[in-house]
This record gives sequence, C-alpha cells and structure tokens, in this order.
Amino acid sequence: MRRIFQFDETSLNSSSSDTYSRTASQSTTTINDYSLKSSSSDPYSRTASQSTNFSSGQASGSQDAYASGQASGSQDAYASGQASGTQHAYASGIFEDHPGLNPTDERVVELQCMIRENFEVLTCDPQRALNLAEASHGESNNIPFLEYLLDDLTQNGVSGESFREALDQVGQAAASPLDQFEIVPLIPMNIGNFYFSFTNPSLFMLLTLSFFLLLIHFITKKGGGNLVPNAWQSLVELLYDFVLNLVKEQIGGLSGNVKQMFFPCILVTFLFLLFCNLQGMIPYSFTVTSHFLITLALSFSIFIGITIVGFQRHGLHFFSFLLPAGVPLPLAPFLVLLELISYCFRALSLGIRLFANMMAGHSLVKILSGFAWTMLCMNEIFYFIGALGPLFIVLALTGLELGVAILQAYVFTILICIYLNDAINLH
Amino acid sequence: MLEGAKSIGAGAATIASAGAAIGIGNVFSSLIHSVARNPSLAKQSFGYAILGFALTEAIALFAPMMAFLILFVF
Repeated sequence: MRRIFQFDETSLNSSSSDTYSRTASQSTTTINDYSLKSSSSDPYSRTASQSTNFSSGQASGSQDAYASGQASGSQDAYASGQASGTQHAYASGIFEDHPGLNPTDERVVELQCMIRENFEVLTCDPQRALNLAEASHGESNNIPFLEYLLDDLTQNGVSGESFREALDQVGQAAASPLDQFEIVPLIPMNIGNFYFSFTNPSLFMLLTLSFFLLLIHFITKKGGGNLVPNAWQSLVELLYDFVLNLVKEQIGGLSGNVKQMFFPCILVTFLFLLFCNLQGMIPYSFTVTSHFLITLALSFSIFIGITIVGFQRHGLHFFSFLLPAGVPLPLAPFLVLLELISYCFRALSLGIRLFANMMAGHSLVKILSGFAWTMLCMNEIFYFIGALGPLFIVLALTGLELGVAILQAYVFTILICIYLNDAINLH
Repeated sequence: MLEGAKSIGAGAATIASAGAAIGIGNVFSSLIHSVARNPSLAKQSFGYAILGFALTEAIALFAPMMAFLILFVF
C-alpha cells in the first residue's frame, strides 16, 4: 500500500467535513501522474513499526514527555528545541488557516508543525515550505503517517522520498528541467473526436507570426519605405538581402541567372524559425521549435513539397536521382536502396536537428541556472561566492544559445536550399 | 536499482560527445589550414566552417538529448 493513499480526500475537498474516511485513491488532476512514479516500497509497514515505538514513548500522554523522549532517541536535538519553542505560534496559525482541523488533537498539529519546520530548513523559503508541507501531509490526522513523514524528512532530508513527493505534488518538480516544454491548453476545444485546443505553442507561434508580419508591414509601407532607411528598415532589408543572397548562391544551377520562384517560401521559413528561436530565449516564454512535433511538421511538409517540385520538373526521370551516374550494374540495387534511405532521412534529420539543438540548449541553461540558484539558497557566504561560477557559465551559455538560435535558422534554410537545388538540377 | 541504471545510461550517452569534439576540432583545424594556404579565401571558408560547425554541433547535441530523455522522461 502506498503512502499517498492515506490522504483524506474528503477533507482535502471540503474543509468543514468531519468524516475522515480513508479513501483508497487520491484524486490526481495533473496530466503527469507523478504519484505513479513513486517507488513501490512499502512504507506502511514502516509506519506501523514506528507507531509502536511512538506509543511506548508517549506512555505519559503529555507532549513534553514525548519531546524529551524523542530528543534522547534517534532524533537530533533540533526536534526537542522546536517542540518546546515555536510550536504554539505555528499551532494557532494552522488553526486559523484550516477551520476543518480538529483542534483537540494537539499531537497532530504538533507533528504538522514539525514537518513544516523541517521543510523550512530544507528549502529556506517559508511560503514554499508551507506549500510543501501542506502538499505532503494534506490535512491528514493519521499520526503514524505524520510520524513517518517527519522521520523521513529529518533522516533523509532533500534526498528523502517524502520531500521529492511533496515537490511533485506542489508542481515545482525542480528535478526536471524539461518542465519548461510543457504544453498547456489555454482554450480547450474539441471538434468531433479531435482535440483542437488553443495551446501555448499556438499562442507563441501566433505571436511570432504577427510580430514579423507587422514588422515588415509597418516598415515597408505602400511606397516601399524611405529612400534613406532608418534602423528598423535597415534590419528588414538586411534580413531580406541575407536570404536572397543565400538562395542565389545555392539555387543557381549552371544557367546562372534564374528566376527565384521559391524565394518567398524560403524567406518566410527563415524568418519564422529565426523569430521563434529568438523568442524562445526570452525568460518564461515558450520555445516553439523545441517540440519535434512542430519542427518535424515543418520539415516533412517542406520535404514533400521539394519532392513534388522534383517530379514536376523532371517527371519520372526524377528517379535517376537515386542512382549516381557510372555505377556498375551489380551495385545498383544496393545503391538505390541506400540513396532512397538517405533521401528520406533528410526530412527526419532536418527536423530533429533543430529540435535537439533547441531542447538540449534550453535544458542545459535550466540545469546550470538550477545549480546557481541552489547554491545561492544555501545561505552561506562561501556558497554565495561560489555561485558566481555557475552564474557566469549560464551567462556565457545564454550568449551561445542566442548564436545557436540564429545559426540553426540559417542552417535549416541553407539545407532547404541545397535540397531544393538537388531536386531542380538533379545532382 | 532503476535510478542507478538511469544514471549509468545517461553517463554512457555522454560518451558520444568525444566524437563530436573530434569533429568540431577537425572542422576548425581544416579552416586554419586552408586559410593559411590561401588567405584570400578566408571569408568564404569561414562561412563553410560555421556551417560545418553547426552540423557537427547538432549531432553532438543528440548525446545530451538522449541523456536528458533517459534521466527525466523514462
């Protein structure tokens, strides 16, 4: 039986209920069910054994006896000091906060206060400690369960199971740097059987699109802008020229000056990716291109389009793309297979490259800033100075990530051009 | 047990960085060689070198990506 099953669902839902019926399952509303990930060890048997210890220690029935017994036992001296000192202040606070709590059961309140105090020591943030403590014990008045929590916290600390579980419950889940990529439906919509929600990727894609379309629209007004460009117009012209040169360099072919009929598509792809990547570098924003759903959709649609262009230009002769000239006939079947695989793999690698760069980079920055943050939170001057190291690394990495954001948009674009050139000119 | 296996797997995934390091070193050493031989092509070869660097770097990033997936997703 898992420990999480001992939460009181009724008391969690309504604070005024008096019936503390043990429910077999806790209602978990999060999509990622972290409770499933908790280890399948059997803490209930441990709590049972601990409760027997407790009852022997509490033979006199008073709190002071318990506190002294605990201090002399396996617990450290901290527990006794806390029990005698700050317990009343916390107790009154908890009664005010939770009218549903049974105020006669002082032992429960005492345990809950101690658990909260432990969380405060571990996290050095009172508000967060309160949230964590509430997440870990809920409003349970099960004394063995609370004692188990307290024991786990004092002995195992941050690495203990209950601490991690509390983190998961609060949703902080500081362990995972992948949380920044979570897709949250902002406006849930269902059309038939399809789930067409307006999610945060949709929002940020819309923002990106509207940003660069508005930029281009307002700067190149009907007359084509100013003759002497200002800074913004220079920026847009720079981007335009950059992509135009790129396309001219790659898709020229032997005939030299050809009509660049694919240039608008390539320009929009480049600008979209560039603005998406750069927008992702803003803290607390969402990196659209860090989802392979989006990058693969883009790369596959472009790949299919390029293939269609190839067939349009050359008809069935396009298949000669798969067989390099001058190959001896016995080798042909293998080579065709290899070329086919490598041709199809282009679409996959195009999308995965962008996705992997964005995701790995953002996770790396998150992890390293997590190091710096943890060190800053240690409340010691030594760690405080030491935290400068990770901070500077994070700063340097952010610069690198900005470079990667621009570079990956460029690489994606240049590869599209190369593939398009292959399809048009057949090697 | 599972935690330990995860850590070992993530650590093993990062061995792949060695290959990427060789690749990136190769790209830039070739750039220096070619610029030393023909300095007039420096600008053009730098562009190619950056492209090669980006492609190699992308493969390099598959390694930490696998490590993250092993550690945090499974």
